[in-house]
Parts: sequence; structure tokens; C-alpha cells
Amino acid sequence: MTKQVDYSLKHRSEPLFRVSKRNGLEKWKIALLYVGAILVALTFGAILLLCLKVNPFKFYLDTFTLGLIGNAIPLKIISNFINSFVPLLITSLGLSLAFKMKFWNIGGEGQFIIGALVAASIGIGLGDKVNGFFLVILMCLLGGASAGIYGLITAVFKVKFGTNETLLTLMFNYIALYLLIFFGQTKAGWNILLDPNSDRPMFVQIPEAAKMWSFSVGGLTINTTLIIGIAIVVLLFFYYKKTKQGYEIAVVGDSHNTAKYAGMNVSKIILRTVFLSAFIVGLAGAFKVASSSFRLSEAITDDVGWTGIVVAWLAQLNPFGILLVSFLLAVLQFGITSSSASYSNLDANFADLLQGIILFVVLAVHFLINYKIVVNKTKINAKKMAELKAKGFEIIDLTISKNDKKSEIVSDESTALENSEVSEKTEALKITDAEGGNE
Amino acid sequence: MELFAMFIASVIVYGIPLLYGTVGEIITEKSGSLNLGVEGIMAVGAIIGYLVGSKADSMFVAMLFAFLAAAFMGLIFAVLTVTLKANQNVTGLTITTFGLGFYFFIGKAVGSDWKLLGGNLKEAYANIDIPLLSKIPYVGDMFFSHNIFVYLGIIIAIVVFIYLFKTKAGLKTRAIGENPAAADAAGINVNLYKYLNIIIGAGIMGLGGLAMGLKMDGSFEGSNCWINGYGWIAIALVIFAKWNPLIAIAGTFVFGFFNSLQVYSGSFATSYPNAFGWLASIPTEFYKALPFIITALVLIISSIRKKKVPDEPTAMGLNYYREDR
Repeated sequence: MTKQVDYSLKHRSEPLFRVSKRNGLEKWKIALLYVGAILVALTFGAILLLCLKVNPFKFYLDTFTLGLIGNAIPLKIISNFINSFVPLLITSLGLSLAFKMKFWNIGGEGQFIIGALVAASIGIGLGDKVNGFFLVILMCLLGGASAGIYGLITAVFKVKFGTNETLLTLMFNYIALYLLIFFGQTKAGWNILLDPNSDRPMFVQIPEAAKMWSFSVGGLTINTTLIIGIAIVVLLFFYYKKTKQGYEIAVVGDSHNTAKYAGMNVSKIILRTVFLSAFIVGLAGAFKVASSSFRLSEAITDDVGWTGIVVAWLAQLNPFGILLVSFLLAVLQFGITSSSASYSNLDANFADLLQGIILFVVLAVHFLINYKIVVNKTKINAKKMAELKAKGFEIIDLTISKNDKKSEIVSDESTALENSEVSEKTEALKITDAEGGNE
Repeated sequence: MELFAMFIASVIVYGIPLLYGTVGEIITEKSGSLNLGVEGIMAVGAIIGYLVGSKADSMFVAMLFAFLAAAFMGLIFAVLTVTLKANQNVTGLTITTFGLGFYFFIGKAVGSDWKLLGGNLKEAYANIDIPLLSKIPYVGDMFFSHNIFVYLGIIIAIVVFIYLFKTKAGLKTRAIGENPAAADAAGINVNLYKYLNIIIGAGIMGLGGLAMGLKMDGSFEGSNCWINGYGWIAIALVIFAKWNPLIAIAGTFVFGFFNSLQVYSGSFATSYPNAFGWLASIPTEFYKALPFIITALVLIISSIRKKKVPDEPTAMGLNYYREDR
């Protein structure tokens, strides 16, 4: 009796490798991958620095110690760092809310600007009329609410007509930016935002009463907004995990249809969440004016609306992850600004370059975490096939001949080879798919 | 009249880099990828193209390297989003961050060795008169006496239009942008087409970047990038042009018109106070915001009208993963 081996067409036509989803990787492996990615990116950066004849070790040391070593005013530097870190943290947190629903709010820049613009207007306009405490609260709430409404407009069109929110929020960024520049350039009696004593147009400083409270710990001035930022981290964490609304956001993000069948009002959830998202971003803008810059400027956002998108995504929308990632990126930017100051052929823009490289590598690592590459061994088995043939097996295609009723199922062809010596009675052997790890 | 001729010529010269960015982005978006890295890609193409070109003293070399450097950025975008399935918005923004960082890094590194536009490069950038047509009074100066990038840009836009709407490869590209799973099932190599379209699209953007650099006489300023936000306007223009390269040619001049109006509105108002005096009362920021306001309106109106076949590629911005069902 001839011995047969199944070698169906479908086995042969499979590609050499394919990509399949991974069901979670150990935490320590993920951490290791991230650390490795950052090291790879820093090495790239070091090579670039060497090209400029800059000592990378000294440069990185100055960067990651924020230029504190040998500095005469370290406390001042730390509070400056906090001032640049908090807007990024709060903006990223705000944006993550919308992203959780897969609503691509890339309008962070615009919402931040609107928040700052409204807060500054209230601070300057009502500075001498309202008690300081209420004034600051009013600035923040109205700044946030205006930004929230600015974001809400885009969400209304998304919900009603399916307008592409990525592109619409992008356009809204520039509309807000030029509105801000308009206020910054137009000298007129009604324009309270400009300094009346300056001949050329210049934004005026907000009055003392409109400044956010800060407190001092052992000489270090700590901005209240840092505390609020960290509070938002914790609140968002519980909002996602423990509240009905947080659950609804997760379901809508997963599938609009699932949410609908579960009886959720998807439109309402989207509108509410986008408002909240833009509100928090606007709050960051109001905080910036009230607590650190004390005046508007055309570059008030410091690009946090853009960087925040990247931060939220890299942290996989986890509030504590956002705290960590925004801290690291703030260190990178702040550190490079100070460490590059002593070189003539390098400036703070190196931070953007390095940040770009880091993100490229980290995005690639995300792939390794979420997917795995499966190599199909079937192709390689051409050699084994020849071996089987030499042993007298007939190669058949079960999907065509369908004579596998009496066949003995053998897990792979190596067992087939072993069996061929033991049992001569085998009529047909079936080679199962060589790699089944993901099934 | 002289002022009008200058104005129209400036509309064309300032508008044309937008056309490259827009046409490049149209190809990319038609294949289903939303690349928000236009600004960064144009910056990389501009600086590499300009530096290598002025070193080699050849416009061809400048264009070639602008194309290649930008195409390499496109390759990075394609590897990350198509093969490694990274989020397109995040990757695009990262490309922009990286590109601008790279631009300033290179500019700073070259430092005092920087050369302004000169030699063959300057000669090749001079206006080319189209025989006969350029002799027509006023009209000739307005439309038929421009630098090489103006003509090349329009040719590229027409070629891309033919490619997208009149060839089989273009049909496949559009099919992928609409429904990659169906295209895959029909036997189209989705990844290959996405790669090619993203890379070629990015290369075209790079040429636009080079055009901007040459427009600025190749003068590197430490604080302002040559591209100066044009990449973002190009993304807006794609929508305004309804993803059609031919409409993009017209759209380029509409957007260029607003752009030049910022500069010329004052002159118009003083030269013709009766007819254009009112121009002086409109703040220039309004003209800058206008492309974005119009685009936002176009986006909203076209989504309200809900055409049977929408202009926007249905699968734009979404990564395709064959095993996702």
C-alpha cells in the first residue's frame, strides 16, 4: 500500500511570514523594550552630536540634569521646569479623553489658545473689579468653558453630519491662532489685551489680582497648577475605571454600534466627552496665563497642543502613563534648551530632532508589543518533502482528493518520518499547518 | 495696472509651492493615508535639496535630492504606518516635529559656511519666458514669465490627475483608499500601492519645499523655517480641491491670492483709495486665517450635502490590517 502525505494547496501558497496580534506581553518585557528604544534613539542623537564635535556624554548629562549641576539658582530652574511641564501634562490629559473615544481631537493648539485668550481678557478686564480669589476661578472656568465650546462645535458637526473631525479640528487650530495674532497686532481703544504704554503692539501683563496662587516649600516656589494637574491624573484614572461615564467612553471607543445596541446615546456621549476634553485643554491655557507667562504671546502654546497628542498616544491613554511620558518629554525639551545654550552650532531645535527620533523608534516598538511576526515553516519544508518522497510517501492534496476517512492524523512531518519506520499500515498522513501558535 | 500685474505674478509665485504640497498629499490621501507630516517633509526636502544642489551647482541635482530626501521621509511614514501599523496622526505629527528639528539642526550645523542662492542654481531659477505668449502686454508678465517650478508644478498636477483618474494603477490606488479589504480581495497588493503612493507623494512635497527655499534666496534664518506653515495650508487645500489635482491648480491661486493680499492690500488701498480704500480696514490676519476658514466651511458643507460618492477617501486615516475582521 502506498503511503500518502497531505500537502494541500493552501499550505503551499502561504507567504513566508505574516503578522498576527499578540495577546499581551509581560510587563517587564514591555518596559525593557521601551528602555531599549530610548537608548537606541539617544545613540542616534549621540552620533549626530559627534558629527558636530559635541561631547554627547556631557551634553546628555547637562540635558537630563536640566542644567542644574553647578547652577547658582537651582530652585528657580526647577520652578521654571514645572512651569513648562504642567501645560503639557494637562493638555495631554485633556486630549486623551477624546482619543479614548477614537475622536481625533487634534485641535489642542486652538483650544489652548482660546482658553488662554478668554482667561487673559477676563483677568485684564475685571482685574480691579472682582476679588482676586473669585477672579482666578472665573478666569479658569470661563477659559476652560470657552475652549470646551470651541471643541464642541467640531463635535456637533461630527455627530450630525459625520464631518471629518481630524481635519476640522486642524483648521480650527489656525483660526484660533490668527485670532490671537489679530488681538496681538491690532492697536485700538477696545483692545484691552495690548499694553497702552507701548508704541508698538505688545500684550499687556495681567494684573496682580489675576495671578494664580503659588506656595513655597523650602524656598522652592511651587505652582498650584502642578497640584491641580496631578489631581486631574488621579481623577481621570477613577473616571475611566469607576464611573458609568468612563465606561460609556470605553464602549463608544470600541464600537459605536455596540454602544447603540446597549442603549447608550452615542451622540450625547461624544458631545459631552469632547466638551470635557477641550475644557481641560482650555484650562491648561488659562493656567498658563494665570500662573506662569502672565501675559499672552503668539507662541503661548509652546506647541503643547501638538506634543500632547503624541504624549497621550505613547502613554496609551493611561493617565499615569501620561504623567510619566509628559514628564520625560518636558525634561528633554527643557534640558536641551539649557544644554544647547553653550554651543554655537546647536540650538533648542535639537530637542525636536531627538524627540522625533525617539518617537520613531518607540512607535516601532509599539508594533513589537502589539503584534508578532509568525514565520510559516511550510515553505522551508520543501527539503523534508523530498525526504518523505525518498521514503516512498506519495504527496497528495487532501483538499482535492478527500480520501482522509481512514487517515491517521499525525501532527507534523517529522513524526511522519518516525512513524514511517514503525507503522507501514498508514494510508495517509496529514501534515497540519506547521505553525499554529496563535490559534 | 503695473501693480495688478505684479500682484498676479506674486499670487502665482507664492502659491505654487502649495501646489506641490497639495498634489503630494492628494496622492497620499487617495491611497488611504492621512499624512500630517507635510510641513516637516517639505522642510527636509527643501534644506537637503538646496544644500546639495548649491554644492553641486546644479538645479537638477537640487531637485533630485529634494525629491529623494522627502521621499525618504515618506518611506519612514510608510514603514511606520503601513507595515508597523502605527497611528497615522501621531506618526505624521512626529514627522513634522522631526523634519523641522532636522531643518534647524542642519542649518545651524552649516553655520557661517551657508551660501546664498547663486551660480547655476540662481540662473536656473530665473523666469523663463514662454515664446510669443510672454510678449503679450501685462498678460505675458502675469502668466507666461515665471520660474521653472511654476511650469513644473502645473505639469506634475496634470500628470497626477491622469495617473489617479485615467490609469489602472490610479484606479487601484483609489480603490485602496475607499476600501482596502475589498481591494485586497480583488488581488491588489495593498501594501505595495500604499508604499509607492506615500513615497512619491512625499517626494513631490519635497520639490515644493525646495521652491520655497529658492523663493527666499536660500537665506537661512535661525528662527523661521522656509516652509512657514505652507505644509498645513496644503493639507487644507487638499480638502478645498476635493482631492482633485486639477482643482488644486485653481485652489492654489485662490489661496495664493489671499496670501499675496496680505502684502499688497496696503498698496492697493493707497494707490486706488476710491476703489480699494476699504482693503486697509481689513486686518491682515484675516487673510491668513481665510484659507482655514474656507476649508472648514467646505468640510462642513460637503459633509452636510452627503454626496453619493464622497470626495473624501472613505478609508483615509485608517490602517489596514488584513486579519482584523
